[in-house]
Amino acid sequence: MIYSLNTGEMAQLYERISKEFETYGTVDIQGDITFSRIESYDELRIGRSDKPPKEFLIGRNENVLVFTEPNKKAVFGVMSCDLKGFYIMDKQIYGKDPFYTARRDNTVFINYVCTEPCETGFCSSFGGPLLNNYQIQVINYENDKYLIYADDAYISFFEGFKQASKEEISKVEKLMHNFNMKQKKHEVEGSENRIKWNSKLWDEYAKICIQCGACNYSCPTCYCFDLNDVGEERIREWDSCILAGFTKTSAGNPRESLASRLRQRFYHKFVYYKKSKGEYLCTGCNRCTDDCPVDIEIKEVIDHDYNNE
Amino acid sequence: MAQISVCPYCGTGCQIVVPEKDEPFSVSGYKGSPVNNGKLCIKGYTGLNYSFSKERLTYPLFNENGNFIRISWEDAIELAANKLLKIREEFGPDSVAFQSSAKCTNEENYLMQKMARVFGTNNIDHCARSCHSPTALGLINTLGTGAATGSIKSLEGTNTFFIIGSNTTEQHPIIGSKIISEVKKGKKLIVADPRKIKLAELADIHMQFRPGTDVALLNSLMFVIVKEKLYDKEFIDSRTEGFNELREEVIKYDPIITSEITGVEPELVYEAARTYATNRPSAIFYAMGITQHIHGTENVMNVSNLALITGNLGKYGSGIFPLRGQNNVQGSSDMGALAEFYPGYIRWDSDKIEKFAKLWNSTLPKKKGLTLSEMFDRAADGEIKAIYLMGENPLITEANIARVEEGIDNLEFFIVQDIFMTLTAAKADLVLPAASSLEKEGTFTNTERRIQRIFPIYKPPGEAKPDWWIINKLGSRMNLWKEYSGPEEIFNEIREAIYNYSGATYENIYPVGKQWPINKENPDGTEILHTRSFPLGKGKLVPIKFNPPSESVDGEYDLIMTTGRNYFHWHSGTMTRLSQILEREAPEPYIEINSEDAYERKIRNGQLVNVKSRHGEIRIRAKVTNLVPKGIVFIPFHYKESRVNLLVGENLDPISKIPEFKVVAVKVMP
Repeated sequence: MIYSLNTGEMAQLYERISKEFETYGTVDIQGDITFSRIESYDELRIGRSDKPPKEFLIGRNENVLVFTEPNKKAVFGVMSCDLKGFYIMDKQIYGKDPFYTARRDNTVFINYVCTEPCETGFCSSFGGPLLNNYQIQVINYENDKYLIYADDAYISFFEGFKQASKEEISKVEKLMHNFNMKQKKHEVEGSENRIKWNSKLWDEYAKICIQCGACNYSCPTCYCFDLNDVGEERIREWDSCILAGFTKTSAGNPRESLASRLRQRFYHKFVYYKKSKGEYLCTGCNRCTDDCPVDIEIKEVIDHDYNNE
Repeated sequence: MAQISVCPYCGTGCQIVVPEKDEPFSVSGYKGSPVNNGKLCIKGYTGLNYSFSKERLTYPLFNENGNFIRISWEDAIELAANKLLKIREEFGPDSVAFQSSAKCTNEENYLMQKMARVFGTNNIDHCARSCHSPTALGLINTLGTGAATGSIKSLEGTNTFFIIGSNTTEQHPIIGSKIISEVKKGKKLIVADPRKIKLAELADIHMQFRPGTDVALLNSLMFVIVKEKLYDKEFIDSRTEGFNELREEVIKYDPIITSEITGVEPELVYEAARTYATNRPSAIFYAMGITQHIHGTENVMNVSNLALITGNLGKYGSGIFPLRGQNNVQGSSDMGALAEFYPGYIRWDSDKIEKFAKLWNSTLPKKKGLTLSEMFDRAADGEIKAIYLMGENPLITEANIARVEEGIDNLEFFIVQDIFMTLTAAKADLVLPAASSLEKEGTFTNTERRIQRIFPIYKPPGEAKPDWWIINKLGSRMNLWKEYSGPEEIFNEIREAIYNYSGATYENIYPVGKQWPINKENPDGTEILHTRSFPLGKGKLVPIKFNPPSESVDGEYDLIMTTGRNYFHWHSGTMTRLSQILEREAPEPYIEINSEDAYERKIRNGQLVNVKSRHGEIRIRAKVTNLVPKGIVFIPFHYKESRVNLLVGENLDPISKIPEFKVVAVKVMP
């Protein structure tokens, strides 16, 4: 259902949700937007968070020998590009990873749709910020006006709120159309057949990459981890495929060179996942490039003319 | 709610956003930071686990015949005070030595050196001795200030980067990446390093010179600059003195002659000199590759010579950047945790120290203090009876560790304050559990002189306490001072002690730190030093004569070993080796050896080999690689399994007393 709310009603909506869920949201720490526990709707600052919200579902470091039923959480202020990451990841890990699955089932993400393109993102190349898959999706399309797309599972929170009119919906659709027109398009479609194994890009990137892991840690779709026994715990920790140890085995390392590891990351994103799961493992958030200290451009991997190197 | 802090690893001082413990978030870079703009390296992302390790020390421990027993803080402070006071009474204050830490805050370092001096001795030193003491002494001698002259941000304005003796992308990754970004834009990059480091691959010119021949190389660069008159005459005339004397010296270093010494083709020297001198502004970056030599201080002064004659100082984008190793080695040196310097680099024998007698309401020691390696040496001789050591692990990191061990074993009383039971702490009589940098308040000063704040985001484990708390208690128990209420009160005293810090307050250095000098004349701090004049007035040009390193190859010891860090680990590994990801990447000690050298010695990749120097021997795995040239091997010093410092000799730079970590003659045997 689609609803139309004003700012006061948004706060009411928050109140209703907070009765049932532990509430989190994006807050401002000295200009840095970051996720935190919040106690009131006033604390929420909408903006691009410093990192994606994937830690709500995949812990940075956690003991996987103990399973505890997760609390019900509501997370306000998630960007659409970040939320989309979960829907893509679901195809690989939902139902398989019990921690992820339980948290996914117990978390409601309230995503906020951008109305103006951000500086570096390219989400419109993946369909734009208004998502087809969502739980509760919010568009603050005019000063005091919010259009809310809510999944039927959350209908009870909207009792008494006004349903959106046709005019309002078409206004938003037009806004989204303009958004997608304004943002530069990158031809993602077909990249699984264009990207070349022997491209010079991988060597060029390897020359400058300092293996910080930022592209993995900042990515809303990277879900790889490593397991280590530490004392009585078995710790699962986020991993980075850029590191040599990621694929090291007792028989050696199939990806000894940094170039081959960088290639692997892009192949996973644009070739393997597409071919096996039908989707690209990328949402156009551009976080990997924004957080990359040496400016390796994911858009270049998409746009590069592989046939004429 | 999350809070802003500073990464505890290298001197870059990246600001991080740290979540509260019960929140499911990880550390990320602070986007508002002028230092790192939200970026981090792998140590920042995955290296902070140690703070939550179950191996943390949680109670004061007393060593009773080899068994550590838990005691109360009250007893620990009482015991420490009584022992130190008794030793002072019996043998005098100079029988006690204090070792501070560049991992600790400014407040803690300030207190530690104050403790030593009010106690009655200048025996105060710390690991800056083994990294940048030549920088402090060298640059103070030539310019008047021993610190980086520009800001990290100012590198946007640099046209030529000259890296000598710094593996920047591995040791200061965020500064290294900044250089890479600039080079991608077309800026020039010159690298002088015996190893084929990452930046060497991107460099326009890579001079792969032999370890220990820095002076010859730098002099021959200046030979070209003088010969082709590429120097900045106006700058030399108005801002420097001693050019004629310098010229007399450098004209002896024709690249054709020095190539015999350095192994660098003369053409490369010409090209490098021309690029550095003409494609200005140029900035020089150096680290341990310059300082850890018996001529470390001279190396630094020669770097300064090169910058001065080309006018590459005092302008945005130019400068000298000694890249600081530890997160607070700039600050700990500023605080005067050095044998020869009081806070603000006031020499121990200068009249100006009277101000400290007043400020501390105390008489001051008259004798010259001992440096780090001298302290252990004198302990072995029986002259030093007690050491109070904070946050260092010399049994891995010091040169000539067999002698260090002898010294420690000979002490009457040894106090170690740390967050872990390190190899060194295990030898202590009294172990005091400290808080990590995420658990205490204070300030760090990064490699660009930026004073930044940290906060107690988590509670220390068990009864562990912030270092300032411990020193504070011990100092007041020994009647050295009246107890301080907290770090801010200590910081306010620092502002009185050091004029360059006087304008900084806990309010105005948050959330973004400020660069010293920050004082009445520069209320907002100072991004670029020496824009109009040097603290000395004119910059001093000091002719430096080339002398070979103390160690050289012979028939038996036929390879030159250099030591250093790798990307994944930090110093003695007590922090990074607890991060599973970092440990996985570099799990064991190794020696990098060139494939030709390996072939000649019938050594295969991955094979265990014995490495022997004139001072010791270790067993270690061979990594056959052409990152090192023929004739040179490299061993990182992180690993307690094979401590490379057993191989490093006792030779010191006579000026700064830094050991010669970078040149050791060894033989490698399968």
